Amino acid sequence: MKLLALLITLFLLYQTNASGQIQLTGKMVDEKGTALAGVNIILRGTYEGTTSNTKGDFNLLISENETIHLDFRMMGFKSISKKINGTKVPIALGEIRLIEQITEMNSVTISAGAMESSDASRAVILKPLDIVTTPSAMGDIVSALQTLPGTSTVGNDGRLFVRGGDASEVGIYIDGLRVGNAYGTTANNVPTRTRFNPNLFKGTFFSTGGYSAEYGQALSSTLSLNTKDVSARTQGDLNLMSVGGGYSQTLATDKHSISFSGNYFNLNPYQNLVKQDFDWEKSPVGLDLEIAAQQKLKKGGIVKILARTEANKMQLWQPQPGEDSRGDLINLRNTYSYVQSNWKKAFHNGWTLFAGAALSHNLDNFEISGISIDKSSDLIHLKTTAIKDFSDHISMKSGFETYFHTYTEINLNLDKFRNFTEKETYFFSEWDWYLNKRLMIRGGARIGNSKLINDTWIDPRISMAYQVSTNSQISLAAGNFHQLPVDNFRILSNFLKNSEAKHLILNYLYSNDGRTFRAETFIKQYDKLVKFDGEQLSPKMLSNDGAGSAKGFDLFFRDQKTFKNTDYWISYGYVKSERSYNQYRTEVQPDYAPKQNFSVVLKHFVQPLKSQIGASVSMNDGYPYTDPNKDGEMNSKTNPYQSVSVSWSYLPKPNLIIHFAVNNVLGRENVFGYSFAKNPEENGFYPSLPKVQGAPRFLFLGVFLTLSKDKNANFLNNL
Amino acid sequence: MKKYTLSLLIAMMWITLANAADSTYEMAMKKQISAMNSIATVEDVQNVKNGFLRIAEASPKEWLPTYYGALTLINSAFRFEVDKDQYFEEAMMLIKHILEQQPDNSEITALHGYILMGQLSVDPNSRGQELSGKALQLFGKAINQDKNNPRATSLMARMEFGMAQFFGNGPEKSCGMARIALELFKAEKAKIDENYILPTWGKEQAEKLADSCK
Repeated sequence: MKLLALLITLFLLYQTNASGQIQLTGKMVDEKGTALAGVNIILRGTYEGTTSNTKGDFNLLISENETIHLDFRMMGFKSISKKINGTKVPIALGEIRLIEQITEMNSVTISAGAMESSDASRAVILKPLDIVTTPSAMGDIVSALQTLPGTSTVGNDGRLFVRGGDASEVGIYIDGLRVGNAYGTTANNVPTRTRFNPNLFKGTFFSTGGYSAEYGQALSSTLSLNTKDVSARTQGDLNLMSVGGGYSQTLATDKHSISFSGNYFNLNPYQNLVKQDFDWEKSPVGLDLEIAAQQKLKKGGIVKILARTEANKMQLWQPQPGEDSRGDLINLRNTYSYVQSNWKKAFHNGWTLFAGAALSHNLDNFEISGISIDKSSDLIHLKTTAIKDFSDHISMKSGFETYFHTYTEINLNLDKFRNFTEKETYFFSEWDWYLNKRLMIRGGARIGNSKLINDTWIDPRISMAYQVSTNSQISLAAGNFHQLPVDNFRILSNFLKNSEAKHLILNYLYSNDGRTFRAETFIKQYDKLVKFDGEQLSPKMLSNDGAGSAKGFDLFFRDQKTFKNTDYWISYGYVKSERSYNQYRTEVQPDYAPKQNFSVVLKHFVQPLKSQIGASVSMNDGYPYTDPNKDGEMNSKTNPYQSVSVSWSYLPKPNLIIHFAVNNVLGRENVFGYSFAKNPEENGFYPSLPKVQGAPRFLFLGVFLTLSKDKNANFLNNL
Repeated sequence: MKKYTLSLLIAMMWITLANAADSTYEMAMKKQISAMNSIATVEDVQNVKNGFLRIAEASPKEWLPTYYGALTLINSAFRFEVDKDQYFEEAMMLIKHILEQQPDNSEITALHGYILMGQLSVDPNSRGQELSGKALQLFGKAINQDKNNPRATSLMARMEFGMAQFFGNGPEKSCGMARIALELFKAEKAKIDENYILPTWGKEQAEKLADSCK
């Protein structure tokens, strides 16, 4: 019984002891000394604590003579702890400072050259959905990007031309892995499209210069497309279009999803119905099959697979200047496959690892006036990267890449063939340093080696961004870029070295509440460009003796706020591009680089009509060309280019979309240049033919139906 | 005998202590929940949310304190003139780890969808397309996880109602769901006593929706 008495006494003593309480006070502030309201002050190991008020003040009753630990927590700030030794007198802690955490969301990002489209990023220029709903784009990613500043529309080519550079200067990547032959094969002066469907991607990163050391072999620009993660639901998507149709079936669970798609297009019925300016013998026909699979791994990893194969053909007559006949018959067949797989995982210790492999295979067969030539290209890209966040101030991204590339040309008539094989290896490392959340510096370098030319080179890159005010920032980017010449030149002379470019870009970005304004000015210096004697199709005496430059500025304004249900953007770009390369003898403005480029895109949602109506305008000041009847090179310019496109998307039911679009609705006869006969006629005059559009207008009608248990799902949910 | 008494005493103390720990948690939760139900100002919101988070930190195995912390933020974002996106973002950050701990918990899944619904409501024009599908999917998942969760069905009904309005379709489907939700709330009410700390909210919104169907 003695024991019980002892226990009771102890218990009472303890109680008495506990009843003595003292006051603890303090004031929460941030780095600048501004009061912080809402900080959670936690008495560790208990449910007790308090919250700082609007003046940052707090007070808390604690037990006398007891040593305690206090934790101070608030979202967006680094937590801190304080140990307080037991005492009998009231405690005044004074000012307690919390330091704001630097996160991707609240810190400055480099916007020089960069135009992102994603759901995650703050400095988003275009969302994935915008690409599909841009009237002039007709569902083509690259066409949608041609409404952004820094690009120029080259209507007889269709590829992406950035800031006075040619189309080969743009590197295209899917999930960081290079895509070989990303555009469909086409005949001269017949525009092409990107092979990949925008539905595959959750975001794009388009850079018009000064980009990260992660990317190389692109003198002007990179376009990086990121595939979607695991799909939300099992569904079937059916599309019926004026030019073909297709079906896609997606099977999904929480952990993984897989989709199979097949599409067939045939322009024949359409081209029979609508008069064409091109002289088609057989309209373009194509078939593609695609599989995309995503698997979530335990603890946050993801594995993705994308495989696509397609076959296309077309046959057309191309008239020759000075001849009355139908011209040359060009017969073109293409097969293409792209397979890639990648794995990515973020570990809790701050490391993020990525590994991927991609294979592109392209086979073209050209038959021109009875001569049959096969061109085949294989590209394997292996890549690993590691990202480490050392703290919220310093992070690093490094990687190692290998490319295996083979290119072969076979003349089937003569049974002659030639080829080259290349192995390139790259290492890059790039470091981000946040001095504070308003100022960051990124520095890095890319080291490359080519086995074929037996050369090693290094490309330093540097950029910085400074936040001027809450809504605006300036950034600066500079770097060196190397790119090996295009395949059809390298095959002629294997010793051709890298071409080089230097970029310097200054960017201002303002974005606030649905409005974005962006201004950018740039200088680009080219050196060691490929130069040759003769014509583009039969070059002789190839060398790296070319050089050039491009300078100018871009303006971009987007507003989703001022007018209800209305979104519009305006782009203007001025570029002065001059280069002595390819067949050009002197430094002249290339035929694909108009000086002034302007575009407007407008979208308006009309709720009562359940419709989105869109319009876009694209203009430039004309394409230069050389008229051999006059003195000098690039001595003439075409009329300005203008095209107005309209579109109407009708959603009668949540799972049904009807889309109608017309390109160049005014039917303006745009000319992209002239081709001249090799020899003058008897009167000494060189006859010519204009390079024209395939038809005055292009009409598109599509019906997109989604079949799923969830009746609200539609095509757009895929984006 | 002495030895026996001592063991018994110790055993009793152990039980009492264990009970005490349990009931302290429950008491603290009950106190916080009633504080949550009487929030009047934005400052109250911070106090109540922080209170829940303190309980969450001291009882790391429980999901309810974090759940209520997030719920406090969501409801306040709908109710007060605050930076709504910031509130929804914080709610999302909070539930992240309980989502990982209990991926099959219908209440947490439904709350996740509720946050998306909130984010959607801030800018329906530009976010609708992306978030409506995701929110519907989460409500569907929450219903699959527990058919008797009235909040999952009621939130789904609200989402469906919004979609039907947008597409100009009839509200029949959402009205039907709202009525089912009300039945579920009725069944849930039978279980509620003074010690019940599991989620019970959401009946008023379901009633409002059902009323607008009449």
